[in-house]
Amino acid sequence: MNSGTPSSSAAGAGSADSIAPRRNSKRPKYSRFTQQELPACKPILTPKWVIGTFLLVSVIFIPIGVVSLFASRDVVEIVDRYETECIPETLRNDKVGFIQSDRSKTCQRTLRVPKNMKQPIYVYYQLDNFYQNHRRYVKSRSDQQLRNNGSLQDTGPCKPEDNTAGGPIVPCGLIAWSLFNDTYGFTRNNQQLDVNKKGISWKSDREHKFGKNVFPRNFQSGTLKGGATLNPNVSLSEQEDLIVWMRTAALPTFRKLYGKIEVDLQRDDLINVTLENNYNTYSFSGKKKLVLSTTSWLGGKNDFVGIAYLTVGGLCFFLALVFLLIYLIKPRQLGDPSYLSWNRNPSGH
Amino acid sequence: MAGWRGSRGGGDGTPSDDRIASSQTVRLGKVQPQAPGHRTVFCNDREANSLAKYKIMGVVNLFMGKRKIRYIHSEVNHIESQMIAWVHDIEVVASWSGDSLQWLLLWIVGLKGALRYHLLGFLLWLRTSEGNSVSTTKYDVFTFLPKGLFEQFRRVANLYFLMISILSCTPVSPVSPITNVLPLSLVLLVSLVKEAWEDWKRFQNDMSINNSNVEVLQDWNWVPTPWKKLQVGDIIRVNQDGFFPADLMFLASTNPDGVCYVETANLDGETNLKIRKAPERTWDFVSPDKVSEFKGEVQCEQPNNSLYTFTGNLIIDKQILPLSPNQLLLRGCSLRNTEYIVGAVIFTGHETKVMMNSMKIPSKRSTLEKKLDKLILALFTVLFCMCLLGSIGSGVFINSKYHYLRFDTSEAQFDPDHRFVVAILTFFTLITLYSPIIPISLYVSVEMIKFIQSTQFINNDLRMYHAESNTPALARTSNLNEELGQVEYIFSDKTGTLTRNLMEFFKCSIGGEVYGTGVSETEIGAAQRTGVKVDAQKRSSAASERGFNFDDARLMRGAWRNEPNPDCCKEFFRCLAICHTVLPEGDESPERIRYQAASPDEAALVVAAKNFGFFFYRRTPTMIYVRESHVDKMGKVQDVPYEILNVLEFNSTRKRQSVVCRYPDGRLVLYCKGADTVIYERLVDGNPDLKRMSREHLEQFGASGLRTLCLAYKNLKPDVYESWNEKYIHAKSALRDREKKLDEVSGHQYSQPNIKKFQVAEQIEKDLILIGCTAIEDKLQEGVPACIETLSRAGIKIWVLTGDKMETAINIAYGSEVACKLINNGMKQFVISSETEAIREVEDKACHTSRRCFSHLGDQIELARYMKELVKNELKSCHEEAQKFLHMDSAPKLALIIDGKCLMYALDPSLRGMLLNFSLNCTAVVCCRVSPLQKAQVTSLVKKGANKITLSIGDGANDVSMIQAAHVGVGISGQEGMQAVMASDFAIAQFRFLTDLLLVHGRWSYHRICKVVTYFFYKNLTFTLTQFWFTFETGFSGQRLYDDWFQSLYNVIFTALPVIIIGLFDKDVSANLSKKYPELYKEGIRNAFFKWRVVATWAFFAIYQSLVLYYFVVASSKRAINSSGKLFGLWDVSTMAFTCVIVTVNLRLLMMCNTLTRWHHISVGGSILFWFIFVFIYSGVALPNKEQENIYFVIYVLMSTIYFYLTLILVPVAALFCDFLYMGVQRWFFPYDYQIVQEIHRHEADTSRIGLLEVGQSQLTPDEVRSYAIMQLPGEKSRHTGFAFDSPGYESFFASQAGVFVPQKAWDVARRASMRSKPKTPRTPRTPRTPQRN
Repeated sequence: MNSGTPSSSAAGAGSADSIAPRRNSKRPKYSRFTQQELPACKPILTPKWVIGTFLLVSVIFIPIGVVSLFASRDVVEIVDRYETECIPETLRNDKVGFIQSDRSKTCQRTLRVPKNMKQPIYVYYQLDNFYQNHRRYVKSRSDQQLRNNGSLQDTGPCKPEDNTAGGPIVPCGLIAWSLFNDTYGFTRNNQQLDVNKKGISWKSDREHKFGKNVFPRNFQSGTLKGGATLNPNVSLSEQEDLIVWMRTAALPTFRKLYGKIEVDLQRDDLINVTLENNYNTYSFSGKKKLVLSTTSWLGGKNDFVGIAYLTVGGLCFFLALVFLLIYLIKPRQLGDPSYLSWNRNPSGH
Repeated sequence: MAGWRGSRGGGDGTPSDDRIASSQTVRLGKVQPQAPGHRTVFCNDREANSLAKYKIMGVVNLFMGKRKIRYIHSEVNHIESQMIAWVHDIEVVASWSGDSLQWLLLWIVGLKGALRYHLLGFLLWLRTSEGNSVSTTKYDVFTFLPKGLFEQFRRVANLYFLMISILSCTPVSPVSPITNVLPLSLVLLVSLVKEAWEDWKRFQNDMSINNSNVEVLQDWNWVPTPWKKLQVGDIIRVNQDGFFPADLMFLASTNPDGVCYVETANLDGETNLKIRKAPERTWDFVSPDKVSEFKGEVQCEQPNNSLYTFTGNLIIDKQILPLSPNQLLLRGCSLRNTEYIVGAVIFTGHETKVMMNSMKIPSKRSTLEKKLDKLILALFTVLFCMCLLGSIGSGVFINSKYHYLRFDTSEAQFDPDHRFVVAILTFFTLITLYSPIIPISLYVSVEMIKFIQSTQFINNDLRMYHAESNTPALARTSNLNEELGQVEYIFSDKTGTLTRNLMEFFKCSIGGEVYGTGVSETEIGAAQRTGVKVDAQKRSSAASERGFNFDDARLMRGAWRNEPNPDCCKEFFRCLAICHTVLPEGDESPERIRYQAASPDEAALVVAAKNFGFFFYRRTPTMIYVRESHVDKMGKVQDVPYEILNVLEFNSTRKRQSVVCRYPDGRLVLYCKGADTVIYERLVDGNPDLKRMSREHLEQFGASGLRTLCLAYKNLKPDVYESWNEKYIHAKSALRDREKKLDEVSGHQYSQPNIKKFQVAEQIEKDLILIGCTAIEDKLQEGVPACIETLSRAGIKIWVLTGDKMETAINIAYGSEVACKLINNGMKQFVISSETEAIREVEDKACHTSRRCFSHLGDQIELARYMKELVKNELKSCHEEAQKFLHMDSAPKLALIIDGKCLMYALDPSLRGMLLNFSLNCTAVVCCRVSPLQKAQVTSLVKKGANKITLSIGDGANDVSMIQAAHVGVGISGQEGMQAVMASDFAIAQFRFLTDLLLVHGRWSYHRICKVVTYFFYKNLTFTLTQFWFTFETGFSGQRLYDDWFQSLYNVIFTALPVIIIGLFDKDVSANLSKKYPELYKEGIRNAFFKWRVVATWAFFAIYQSLVLYYFVVASSKRAINSSGKLFGLWDVSTMAFTCVIVTVNLRLLMMCNTLTRWHHISVGGSILFWFIFVFIYSGVALPNKEQENIYFVIYVLMSTIYFYLTLILVPVAALFCDFLYMGVQRWFFPYDYQIVQEIHRHEADTSRIGLLEVGQSQLTPDEVRSYAIMQLPGEKSRHTGFAFDSPGYESFFASQAGVFVPQKAWDVARRASMRSKPKTPRTPRTPRTPQRN
């Protein structure tokens, strides 16, 4: 057990001390990570950088703004608010009563085309104060049921429009139930303008979300009718009005695509609209508007993007100038030690 | 019945809760009261022990929660008794391994009949494999989940999210449960995995310890047995360099005289060897044959955590032998210089003293974290307001006119008739919706960042590695990293912290004559201060040896014989050579011998004696051998053996040490050395000249910054000694109960046997004859003055709290080249001292009435009253003067010097406020002659009274209280003991490393954590506010804007990594610049980056950004968004908004970076990229059985429009526009200091690495040199170690087995002591005593 003679042990003790640190060294291993010396660039927001960045932003933003503003200005838009005008003047005191009665609700409107409109001309209806984004409303649908024929019973979230005595409602839920049912017919010089209602919905909705072999059942068969009825013999994937309607809007004021008029309209053309004013927005005093609009490469008439770009770009340009002026008049010397707080008031903080 | 009652002894008065206390973990330094009763251990007899346990433990107190079940078994059968004994044991174990065992046990003992019998029998069988095994794990398989989860939910944030998750399962919730459950479970998962990993490491460590082998006596043979199989009473053999597996009673060793040497480094960090001595009766139990015959009975105290006390009796053949700590070999210590020892196991497993001593690390929370709590609270308020607003809105909105929404009575939340109910329910809806405003992953992220900061950065910093002592820095807790960046007050110990604690014998005064020609460092400093040039060459270059820096021809080489008082010199040297507890090691020649001493002072004194020709070369338990250069004739040498009769040991209350020795000629002498105050009190009357002279010399030495000791002796008459010795031995060997009767002193911190002993010692240490005094120089540590200067430039105020004399302290503190630059001549100094004439006078008056000062109670009270008045007046005048100075323009800086006695009165509640006010105005404060308690008091005075962030640094046990009292405790490691380190939060090897710790790591951590926290705040606020704005347009229905998955992954995936990266890598200025411009640190002291103003700024930008994010996106998608006239639906808009949020928030992070490593790019780019990948997959796949597929195909629809891209550019730019403007203006017109420093050094490459190369080059291994070379190659990017948690929590045990060093983790220090550290087999045995050679 005892190892070594005394003399060697003494010598060993001496040498062990000098060797031991090398082997048992607790010296941390060097790595750039642990020594916090990872290669890094150190951007400093110098005045030049500030001015440069502002200039760069303005240089990029102003053209984009101009282009998108032009695109937006190219679009011709006709908006006609009709919810009050389409009620006979005598009955305007009780709009809700009128809309719930069985009277004829056909209404004639005349629109004047302010500029030449190239086809396709998109027909929208715009609702106001209509909370398609209400929590109760948004969740009141069953995508399973819309897609699969076999999922008729999947009406879980659809309450209260889920079932009737005759079985589950297809499509169930408040969204479908409250389907918009005003209709528009257009004539120009007594000549019918066809409204193409195909292809007004997103392709992905049409093909994936609404089943080809799912047909409406028990729809609007309850005592309370919310809106349009659906042809039970047409599959849901072809009911594009429904598909458009069911892509719920983000805001309480929204437009929905109604159809396309695939004829050019000339300036000062008078368009007669034959309008079935069926949908009840009167109880919550919502507005209804009919919109005819062309599109540019960018889309519909929306000045906002262009103006926003121009504003941001212009502000940046302005600030670049201001900073440049300051820089020229009273430059701040970079790294001037006199800026250090302990140099400014040496007595301490 | 009577039997057990008797055995409980005086425990009747003890409240039964003591039992609980003793099984709980206790902090080191506080000794718990001993458990009542005694324990009997039968050596070498397992059967008897299991039976015996029953006899003694007739009562088992089992505590489960507050319930106490008492079993009294007077006559039960054998197995039952074993069970009862075991029930007690399991209780001890259960307190360690969690509650489950206790509950199990409670259940079992509550059973009746055969089932109980069998179950207990089964558990008893299990127990046979338990014995000495220890478990330091926090959890076991069964308790992990419940206990771990419980721990997690103790955090308010987690609990909040648990409640939100539950809420989100109700119909009230607008989001599916996944939204809140997923982040919560991810966060919990991460935390639990971390816990499990740490615990697994602990378990592995335990296992390897439990399974290591030790030789146990079985059937006349030594049989290797795993540690865990050891049982009480077993006889075992431990070989050289082996570790003791349990607390052993020392029976025999191979050394003659039955001694062995133990190293207690694992216990208290002291590396000097300690002697243990077996009872004489058992010395020959070395061979198996002999020891097998041994049948003894040990009666001893119950297991307790006091490392330095032990009382018990060994009963052999009805002979009672007293046992003391000297016969106890503690688990965790190792055997040195002894071939092997034989011992009997007394305490096993968790009952061993070291395990009873393992402590929970006191958890401190950083100030920033506390402020963070306030921020969270503020967020709660904001959340509440938002919800309230929304719920009121919903109550107003709800109306049956919205016929398409079909508001009716079927659903309470949409019942227009009960608006109030609607509002309340909507309130809950909104809480779930806005829950992300509280950043759930904040705590776990911050914890992770801090963990990596401390384990990877602080522990591995080469700048804080001390090569001489081979000690790296150690962060024992990761809670306080950022606290290091805000420290305003440092309380420093002097000895061992500012000074090296490397003592050198420097001067002495013998019989009224001063010897020693050296000039101390402080003297040089003092001289320079007064303008006198001192020739540095004058410094003694004769420092031939460590510990000896003395040169005076009058004494050296035997010249002392020609001095006027040779006899005095002789006694002086003998006193040095005899009166100590030093152990010699190595060859018995003056050149090669090494001394193992408890304190460096002692070693220095013995070395000095050696150099004077009194060479102490051998020690046995009863003898000290001194080779004296012959007293009468030069050149002759004589070996003189002195018999050591008693050693009256040194401690901080006694402040002296005495040895009673018998000369070969029978002369009995008591040698005593100690502090001047205590020695002077005990001097014999007469010889006033010598006393006066010596006192003058003492003051002179003290003024030179030297540590002084007085030496004295006394001749004893044999009969006086005998009668005293009897009393002394009586006191020493007495068992506890008897002492209690004898003991009159109460409330003392020492255990009673010691007090008794001291009282007896007091009787003989009187009427001493003064020989002279020694002066030892304690050199300043390297770099201390520079470090102090840097720190004070950083706005940190350093207070020195020392036990030294005022003169020494002032000199050390004085601002010169060599001494610390705390005080300088330009300062206005205020000295409040008890050493004034006025006080002396009163003291003397008090002294007149009784022989010893302060012993008369009445005088003491009078003195106290007088002192208090005096201190009050002094303070008042100082304060007024200071106020005067404060209003002056070019006021000098102030310094306060106060001594312990005055401090005691100044800390009185009535004066405390004034003291605080005044001292806060001082740039330097020196408190001398302070006790450990006062150190802590001063620390908490500033901490609590002034609300400043404090740091205490110290190295010794007397600094523990101060270290624990301060916000941050720093221990100096690699020196004296480990106690300060064990109590500290950070351990560094040198005082000067404080600059790195505070100015570099602390500052960076502070910056980083501030950034992380404010960023978290910002990103969650921004995100939630977009939801909030949307709520206004949904009729306050609480419709969610974002998809469930978006919301749930926002915090944990899409924005998680970059913020961690910034928490790890962001660097405003390099390490070198941090130290070059210490003033930068002031930003941390002012808390410039986490003020309410900063938070408000972030909140403002969060609001602005959320407005831009929401309204810009919504506004740009109102109309047809492509040429085919189609429109966006709700989910298209929301996905677009979410994309913008992700991009904006991640870009904002890039904007706030000071440095950009590629990890920044990767993490930010990766986060954005990951979002797109996620949404491509998520919206591309139609999941079956999902009721609503809102997001289906949305991203493809979006990406087919130009609007999407236009918005994606516009919105982030517009959102960040204001931030950028703010940053530009701020930097241009109101730059922070660090920004200026960045600019000054903008063209310089980071030079810190080069500096490090120079420092570290010599110590680099070839591998590292090569990796440097690779790194330096142009264009070559460095190899990155990655931030995988390489072995977090990996216990040093295994690593050290493999020869690799792993820095200690906070959690393994508790177990450190019980660990078998690296096998020291390659090391050849150190044998100081080699009897074979002469």
